[in-house]
Amino acid sequence: MSEKNILEMKGITIQFPGVKALDGVDFSLRAGEVHSLLGENGAGKSTLIKCINGVNRKDSGVILLDGREINPSGPYEAMQLGISTVFQEVNLCPNLSVAENIFVGRQPMKHGQIDWREINRRAGELMSRFHLDIDVTRPLSYYSTAIQQMTAIARAVDVQAKILILDEPTSSLDENEVQLLFSVMRELKESGMGIIFITHFLDQIYAVSDRMTILRNGHLVGTYGINELGKFELVTKMVGKDMDVIFSLKRADVSPDAPIMLKAEHIGDSSRIEDISLTLKKGELVGFAGLLGSGRTETAEMLFGATRAVHGEISVDGENVSIKTPFDAIKAEIAFCPEDRKRDGIIGDLSIRENIMLAVQSRKGFMRPMTHQEQTDLANKYIAILGIATPDCEKKAGELSGGNQQKVILARWMAASPKILILDEPTRGIDIGAKAEIQRLMLEMCGEGVSVIFISSELDEIIRCSNRIVIMRDRAKVAEVDGESCTQQDILRIIAEGAA
Amino acid sequence: MKGKQSFLTRITNPKYIMVYATIGIFLVIYALGAFLYADKGFLTVRTFVNLFIDNAYFGISAVGMTMVLITGGIDLSVGAVASLTGMFIAYGTTVLHLHPLTCIAAALVMGVGLGLLMGWVIHYLNVPPFITTLTGMFLARGVCSLISRESIDIRHPMIDALAGWKIYLMKFADGKWTRIRPIAFVNFNVILFLVMILIGAFILQRTRFGRNIYAVGGNEQSASLMGLPVGRTKILVYGFNGLCSVLAGISYALYVKSGWNLSLQGGELEVITCAVIGGTLLTGGVGYMAGTLFGVLLKSIIPALITFNGNLLSWWGKIATGLLLLLFICIQRVITASAGRR
Repeated sequence: MSEKNILEMKGITIQFPGVKALDGVDFSLRAGEVHSLLGENGAGKSTLIKCINGVNRKDSGVILLDGREINPSGPYEAMQLGISTVFQEVNLCPNLSVAENIFVGRQPMKHGQIDWREINRRAGELMSRFHLDIDVTRPLSYYSTAIQQMTAIARAVDVQAKILILDEPTSSLDENEVQLLFSVMRELKESGMGIIFITHFLDQIYAVSDRMTILRNGHLVGTYGINELGKFELVTKMVGKDMDVIFSLKRADVSPDAPIMLKAEHIGDSSRIEDISLTLKKGELVGFAGLLGSGRTETAEMLFGATRAVHGEISVDGENVSIKTPFDAIKAEIAFCPEDRKRDGIIGDLSIRENIMLAVQSRKGFMRPMTHQEQTDLANKYIAILGIATPDCEKKAGELSGGNQQKVILARWMAASPKILILDEPTRGIDIGAKAEIQRLMLEMCGEGVSVIFISSELDEIIRCSNRIVIMRDRAKVAEVDGESCTQQDILRIIAEGAA
Repeated sequence: MKGKQSFLTRITNPKYIMVYATIGIFLVIYALGAFLYADKGFLTVRTFVNLFIDNAYFGISAVGMTMVLITGGIDLSVGAVASLTGMFIAYGTTVLHLHPLTCIAAALVMGVGLGLLMGWVIHYLNVPPFITTLTGMFLARGVCSLISRESIDIRHPMIDALAGWKIYLMKFADGKWTRIRPIAFVNFNVILFLVMILIGAFILQRTRFGRNIYAVGGNEQSASLMGLPVGRTKILVYGFNGLCSVLAGISYALYVKSGWNLSLQGGELEVITCAVIGGTLLTGGVGYMAGTLFGVLLKSIIPALITFNGNLLSWWGKIATGLLLLLFICIQRVITASAGRR
């Protein structure tokens, strides 16, 4: 590793509506190092990455590549400058062959035609450098996510990148595949490439990186050599000491003889979800932990009838129910607040009042419309309870900040007073204050006897709020742990190793 | 290292499955026709060549349509643009006494220009292709009626010569070449169709532009993140499809030797049908010229069968085509669903 910086970023600030995503962050990358970028979700890691590869425009600050200021307008320009990104979700074309995905846009030509033989030969070489002996002429969709990820890396490497950004590349890989990726990373590092590595797995950071930079709430905490900081100090720096004060939240109090509100036995459909069983007591909060794609959302959707379970039984409040559509679930008094609130939850063009009254109205049936006054009273009541920041209830929901939109959705389901509330990533992409607020509301609802399923990628908030935690991996439930006695490390270990 | 592949692994690549399905079903129907109507001459070369002659104009248009569908788009304007091309030629030569080549040049400017414009609107204004090209269809059809609301015969020595030009298929027997019996020939339209299929296949398989078409149809967002010129690709595809529509219009004009403002109504749907039963995925990303060639043959063999039967109403042809289309869309769903599952 040389001491020379190939990339230097100074005072980067990016403002999103309602939240400062990055605030005066400095970052530097040396040639021939693996530099981990750390922080909780929403700390600004992705924003920083997107600022380097030109997806997001910075509001202020400088980016220097080899001492020259750059301002890439998008991934293409960044790629031409020598900055390649492999995104968490594979961004390739599933219908093209593996070989073509590596070379599309810059195919070798011969006699004015694409030289397929050369493409397939070179792609085969690249993949065998990754110790993958596969038929590169088959469509990408034919192969596993791991191979797709490797293909994306092969593409990034082959464009002669100086800087390679790997954004959570390991989240869908198994242990062997991770080791394979690491050996490729080390090889690339030896050749003088600078690698920025983002991951949630602490062990992986120590296994492969040279330095690390920690972000928290859009601020730089610091840059450290890999031996300067132990795991515990690292986590403390990521989460921050003041967090404990903000989150002086208490878990829901569930008596051991509380009635079981939801019982699912062996539900699944063999493609999205294999086999899930779980129980939920009255007033209890059960957290779903697991990586992206581990089946958390799919389970929630199945409980809500958005996808149909092929086998298994569900009972609500002691009664067997058949949940085939969301309508059945709503009738059984289950409410679901989906992950992507922009797409599935909030209706941006409707006012706060209209958004809140939707669920109540559909429960009452459309034959008995609520009067305007009733609607306004309802909306104002929840605006006050939840502390939604708005001048009045007629403001369009789409104009609110992320945290306030989330509160509007919560209000919608609280107003419908369900027995069971499923919240999928309710705190994603909102700032820390609003997060604490949402968590408080969730726990208050438990106190009122609502049973809550809480899905989140952030382990600390799952541990903080849950009575019990269901851990998912590879589309199946692998463990269930007590929320009070487990630690973040316990859960990470189970997620990584797949056993309780 | 798998630089070189055996022929067997190459042709068993799952991406060709839809093309094989098309060819297979065509062969089955052809065998059925041969079994039922061999005595009426179904097996003759003439019957086979007539499939091309009677449908060349659909086939020419299907070349461009296949590309549009691979990008994940659709073009409803092709029938109207082809019809307008016919009007240009008919009105230009017969009423304005212009040279046919002048009329064709004007039609090319119109067709390609409209295609590029629609592509621009689709990409930069983000208007769905269905709506954009529907507008293009009404526009072109409207101009047709503006030119004339009556059918105009085309009478020009060059058109007559081109329409009458044919190559008789010969066979070599007893030391000399003789025309095969019953007489079979290919005309200008058939050759244009086959040449367009070859050009289309070359563009799709051997040029970067062609591969970008597949990439855009596979995942437009990924394509742009991979640094591919998504906008340029889409615009050029619609432009090329405009060119194909005009060529189809010329071919149709040679076939019927007249221009009529209401000709080829619904032609766009026939063309889309050809491409889809040829294995082109309506959701984009998959399609081959070989498939489209057989799609055209498959679609045209059904009316041929009905003619040979002699007792069935021609509407049975529509019903059979509909069922075939349904079958293919179901096969496509099954294949894409199983491919999506990992």
